[in-house]
Amino acid sequence: MAKITNRIRRLRFDHNEMTQEELANRASCTRQTIIALEQGKYVPSITLAFQIGRAFGVKLEEVFQYEEE
Amino acid sequence: MAPLQRRALYGLIIGFVWTVAIIAVFILKGGASTFSKDQGFRLIIDGLWIGGLIAYLVLFETILRRPGQVDERDKLIMDRSARVQWLAVIIQLVAWVISLSESYWDQGQIPVVFLYLIFMSTLIVSTVAQSVGILIGYRRMEGRQWLR
Repeated sequence: MAKITNRIRRLRFDHNEMTQEELANRASCTRQTIIALEQGKYVPSITLAFQIGRAFGVKLEEVFQYEEE
Repeated sequence: MAPLQRRALYGLIIGFVWTVAIIAVFILKGGASTFSKDQGFRLIIDGLWIGGLIAYLVLFETILRRPGQVDERDKLIMDRSARVQWLAVIIQLVAWVISLSESYWDQGQIPVVFLYLIFMSTLIVSTVAQSVGILIGYRRMEGRQWLR
């Protein structure tokens, strides 16, 4: 079973402690979705994944990782 | 709590009050036999269920049209709530079929008023089950990773 992990919390911290609300606004989603992503409860669509990557100014692979369990 | 989740909770409360109000009025006014004879009674029940449906529409349509309130995750939960809706509608239809068949089997015919009541209850169950489905969706998302 594959699992998708992410570094959103780390990246927020590295980007001047960006708030979840701010990231949500930049990525055009709700704060609750950012919370679910950080907790690993939700895997976003490709579109939202790119928007999050763009919000941090990094490539998709730097935000999301594919892990084989 | 996500805005859609909050609306679903309000929807469930409205749905509960709405259902209880319709059942209470229906029983207090004399039930199915009076319903088929008394036009005033039918209009009261019509007003109640149509009013409830409009309240539901306003509750969910306003949030879906407001920018920034609902995103892809909320829409995914909303789409999956249709499974709960479908199951609830099937269960209540099965309940109607069994109860009416058993009650009217000897007469060989079911009063036409029940067609109307089945339609009305299907709409009510469907709308209330949507709220339940949305709340279940948010709850389930707490437990494991959801993929689109």
